[in-house]
Amino acid sequence: MPPLLEVEDLRVHFETEDGLVKAVDGISYTVDRGETLGIVGESGSGKSVSSLTVMGLTRARNAKISGTVRFDGRDLLAASDDDLRRVRGNDIAMIFQDPLSSLHPFYKVGVQIVEAIRSHKEVSKAQAYDRAVEMLGLVGIPEPRRRAGAYPHEFSGGMRQRAMIAMALANDPKLLIADEPTTALDVTVQAQILELIERLQSEFDTAVVIITHDLGVVAEVADKISVMYAGRIVEKGNVDTIFNTPEHPYTWGLLSSIPRMDAPRGDELVPIPGRPPSLIHLPGGCSFHPRCPYVRDAHRKVDPPLEPVEGDPGHEVACLLASSTRRQLWAELEAGVKPADARRDVIEEGAA
Amino acid sequence: MRRSVQWTLILGVLLALSFGVAACGGDDDSDSGEQGTTAGTPAEGKKGGKLTALWAGDTDNIDPGITYYQMGTQIIRATQATLYSPKIDDAAVNEPQLAESDPQVAEDGCTVTVKIKEGWKFSPPVDRVVTTKDIKYAIERGFFSNVNNGYAGPYFGGLDGAKVGADPGTKIPGIETPDDTTIVFNLKPAEGQDKCAGGILAQALVMPLAAPVPEEYASKFDKGTNSTYGQNQVSTGPYMIENDTAGKAIGYEAGRRIHLVRNPNWDESLDNRPAYVDEIEVQQGNDDATVMARKILEGQSLITGDQPPPPAILKRALTDQKDQIALVPGGSGRWISLNTTVKPFDDLNVRKAVSAGMDRDALRLTRGGEAIGDIATHYLPPGLAGYEEAGAAEGFGLDFMANPKGDKALMAEYFKKAGFSSGKYEGSEKLLMVGDNEGVGAKTAEVAAEQLRGMGFNIELRQVTHDAMYNKFCNRPPSNTAICPNVGWIKDFSDPQTYLDPTFNGENIIQTNNVNWPELDVPEINQAMNDAKLLTDPAERAEAWAEIDRMVSEQAPTVNWIWDKDVSLQSSNVLGVIDEANGIWDWAHTSLK
Amino acid sequence: MAAYIVRRLAWVIVLLFVITLITFTIFTVLPAADPAALRAGRQPSPELIESIRQQFGLDDPKPIQFLRYIQDILPFDNDGVNFGFSFQSNTEVLPQILDRLPATIFLTAGAVILWLCIAIPIGTISAVRTGSLLDRVTMGLALIAISAPVYFLGLVALFLFDEDIGRFPLLPGSGAYQDADGFFGKAGALIMPWCVLAAAFAAIYARFLRGNLIDTMQEDYIRTARAKGLSERTVILRHGVRSAITPIITLLGLDIGILLGGAILTETVFNIQGIGRFAYDAIVRFDLPVIQGTVLFGAFFIVMMSLIVDILYAFIDPRVRY
Repeated sequence: MPPLLEVEDLRVHFETEDGLVKAVDGISYTVDRGETLGIVGESGSGKSVSSLTVMGLTRARNAKISGTVRFDGRDLLAASDDDLRRVRGNDIAMIFQDPLSSLHPFYKVGVQIVEAIRSHKEVSKAQAYDRAVEMLGLVGIPEPRRRAGAYPHEFSGGMRQRAMIAMALANDPKLLIADEPTTALDVTVQAQILELIERLQSEFDTAVVIITHDLGVVAEVADKISVMYAGRIVEKGNVDTIFNTPEHPYTWGLLSSIPRMDAPRGDELVPIPGRPPSLIHLPGGCSFHPRCPYVRDAHRKVDPPLEPVEGDPGHEVACLLASSTRRQLWAELEAGVKPADARRDVIEEGAA
Repeated sequence: MRRSVQWTLILGVLLALSFGVAACGGDDDSDSGEQGTTAGTPAEGKKGGKLTALWAGDTDNIDPGITYYQMGTQIIRATQATLYSPKIDDAAVNEPQLAESDPQVAEDGCTVTVKIKEGWKFSPPVDRVVTTKDIKYAIERGFFSNVNNGYAGPYFGGLDGAKVGADPGTKIPGIETPDDTTIVFNLKPAEGQDKCAGGILAQALVMPLAAPVPEEYASKFDKGTNSTYGQNQVSTGPYMIENDTAGKAIGYEAGRRIHLVRNPNWDESLDNRPAYVDEIEVQQGNDDATVMARKILEGQSLITGDQPPPPAILKRALTDQKDQIALVPGGSGRWISLNTTVKPFDDLNVRKAVSAGMDRDALRLTRGGEAIGDIATHYLPPGLAGYEEAGAAEGFGLDFMANPKGDKALMAEYFKKAGFSSGKYEGSEKLLMVGDNEGVGAKTAEVAAEQLRGMGFNIELRQVTHDAMYNKFCNRPPSNTAICPNVGWIKDFSDPQTYLDPTFNGENIIQTNNVNWPELDVPEINQAMNDAKLLTDPAERAEAWAEIDRMVSEQAPTVNWIWDKDVSLQSSNVLGVIDEANGIWDWAHTSLK
Repeated sequence: MAAYIVRRLAWVIVLLFVITLITFTIFTVLPAADPAALRAGRQPSPELIESIRQQFGLDDPKPIQFLRYIQDILPFDNDGVNFGFSFQSNTEVLPQILDRLPATIFLTAGAVILWLCIAIPIGTISAVRTGSLLDRVTMGLALIAISAPVYFLGLVALFLFDEDIGRFPLLPGSGAYQDADGFFGKAGALIMPWCVLAAAFAAIYARFLRGNLIDTMQEDYIRTARAKGLSERTVILRHGVRSAITPIITLLGLDIGILLGGAILTETVFNIQGIGRFAYDAIVRFDLPVIQGTVLFGAFFIVMMSLIVDILYAFIDPRVRY
């Protein structure tokens, strides 16, 4: 059985006055039915653009899209607008970062859900409304019938996101794309929303793509993780692999910026120094090299491909450091050595 | 009140030119000096039809006892019977209308007796025969503080017991009505005189104030601070403002329309008006002169009112549609007033030099050239009693008024006489000149200022709105305005006193609202005027005022540059007749072809 | 809400009082002309001027004059609400204003409908097809329409289409409104004035809507609407235009208020006897009570329309609560 979603060599480039913006530059991933994929990366890494492209929502006239997006056997990039519209909200649903701005301020929540239902199903308004109320109840909104008649601004942040989820799942989609679903929410609410997504996923048997900049968010819910940097996937693997034996220095950086419950208080988080690169003028060689603590001269010239890690099926990484070196460095980091203090010899030796 | 929204006009002209939509045929470069219909000779007209007049604004006042201007007079000539009316085609002659015969003025001018026709009736709802008591009341109410007629004082103020601003209801003992068809006006002599101003009063009986008003009906409207008789008036003319059974003039909608219908009680056999058309409608609000003029020229049954056509349209119509234009002397003139109390215009020779040197033809061009009037040779304009006596177009042969184009040599001569050997003015003091800031008036002011500068004067030209020009400068002697280039006068009725007395009698100089703009105060002239006012015989009056015209002209108090003509338009199916005394169409004589 | 409206109405009264006071001050305390002299005619003797000043109440102390005017506006004295008497026609001002109101309302209403019917589709299409030929052409035309003065446009229209004097005599023109009978007659007479008055407004509104809609289409909830699988048409009209049009209500309210106070130029060019013309005539003749009356009416309309807009907002935008 083919995967539910199959993205292959997807490229999304924008022509701007300043130059070609390579927002997504050749990514491939698959999502199976009922599976959860986490796409992780800083803002500007192309993770949102790639998902919007899957939905056919990359509408800017200057966008150039290539590659394939196969959903349930159909090529979405080649689909007509109308076909795509029928897929959106029905087979693939999406929720967004800021539930307040993502809900129309002038329409009641119930009405907005009804709209979503009726755009795909031939049901009466009343039936659709009942379904909307049912969905609101399902996502844990108390007094759903009354709340369906309320406006988005009358909901709390968490409730709004629940409403968004109710709307997204109202048509029982096969795939839910959640774009930073918890970023705008309080920490406690974040956990509730993640739990909700997880619970619903198992109930509805929906595949989920969670897009986030925070590895911590996907730690609990994702089956697989893809780490994106500068429009590309730099590392992918199942969730345990990424958390236990990550091999890309960028993934290490992301991991060390997760607040850990078990870390001693006062232990500072280690953000990745530097800023994401300009997508117009990508640094030559490995895109990550300007920020990589382990960079060597050769890294500035050679662009590393995403390659399977030996002996670890399903784990792929795009890094020029030798596999052994990467493992050594990760071990050091785990032992508490700061990246700046990494033994040069390890890098030198491993690279040799 | 005439309103010229000049920017409207200019914009309209510009538009017409730039879009070429106005240019619909005919070379318009031919001689525009030829004039269209100049006289409204009464012709036998066809009865019936509706005539529509296009006006920009409203009449100054709908009340016959208040109105003072051209449009009001035009209405009165159709809706009221005054004791006398100017002959339709000879403005200088009055003939009886409601009166039975000419007024009997006593030798000393202290009594004026008029007999009226019998059987003349008021329109509904009054419906009764007019008596002389109605005329007495009409004149009395002119003095009421809630009516405040503008000319009652100057012309009827000599009546015994008359007082401007009297309480409503106040009687004037000087007006007696021995019987229903006789009215006697008793005047009191002026201070230190034994004669009275009955002569001018008799002439003023053509004014709307001499139209009868039924007291028993009108008194209820003449209460309070504002009389509302105007909105409830009854008429004695062939037409009346359409009214309801109570007498409310529903045909008058201020600022919008005036609708006249036939007066069912009018007796054709008694009146001197034929009253051909059945209905007259005044449509107000036609601000754009170009639009208005073209509507009339191209439409049917339309005539002009308070707004002349713009010069461009006039010029073309003079060649293409001559029979749709009437040009008649308006009984008015325009002057560049020189303040005789301000140096150097206190010097007669300087004033004569200015008059001699001024190219008055150039000034006339600013208003549209030859068609709009003749260059003046003295003050009393054509159509006014005294004009012929003052030498008509020839004038008095004054050298400094002889040349329309200006006479530079003569100017130099007068300047030399004034002590300026160069033949130009040599003083350097600033002279304040205040003129209009828009429209043709502004143009005239600018051309005049340029010419004065050419004569050597240091002119400070200030251009302000027309109202401000009068109220803040020219009408206020304390402002010491040296030159007023946009002033002029129009007769009230065909008596020369109404033209020269307010404007050049030194005794009429007042500190505000002054209209003796040059502040001319020559004792001999004042005396001559005061004597002439007391003359009773119209012919003698004309002679005397013509002589005063000469005396004033010799003083060169203004550059007297034009006798205006009034320009009126009619649609091709209108057989219009001009009321020469009023300078505009007479509705009660005009008919449709 | 009720409390809010009551509070706002109280403010309306205060505001109108202040406007009355300002108008009174400008025209009565600092007059540009003496109405008595204008009324007196050409030979104004001091006695006559004095009597007219008395007749018009101009000789009373200014505060008394103001109080009297306030009494004329309020129904507390025995002659009721009349807004005083016109100096010029000696008639009560209020009935004359009310008499002219229908013309102004009809003119305004028609023009508003017309310009919205033009502006909304054009603004929407231009926003959706930004940069297309249609967008560029309509926005260019809009600029022209905005720049052309109503007066100019009106005269051009008359000389082109007036059935009396136009080159293509198609439509009733200047002065036709007064003569026309019945609803359809009057409406016919207003076709040209409506178009002329609506032209600039249509252009302004189209541009305004276009700008708003372009911004709105970037909103997150539009993305949501698309993600729901709504048709593009629904997304634009139901979600985009619905939001983008809301700020137009404010603009529209004020514009309607201003026009009800008198579309002076349009009414003048086409000789429609509305409030604007009335005010214009009054200013030309320095007819103080009429000037005050029309200014007060204009202010009233503007203030009321802004109140109505604010109340409407509560219904249009559920986030707004009073």
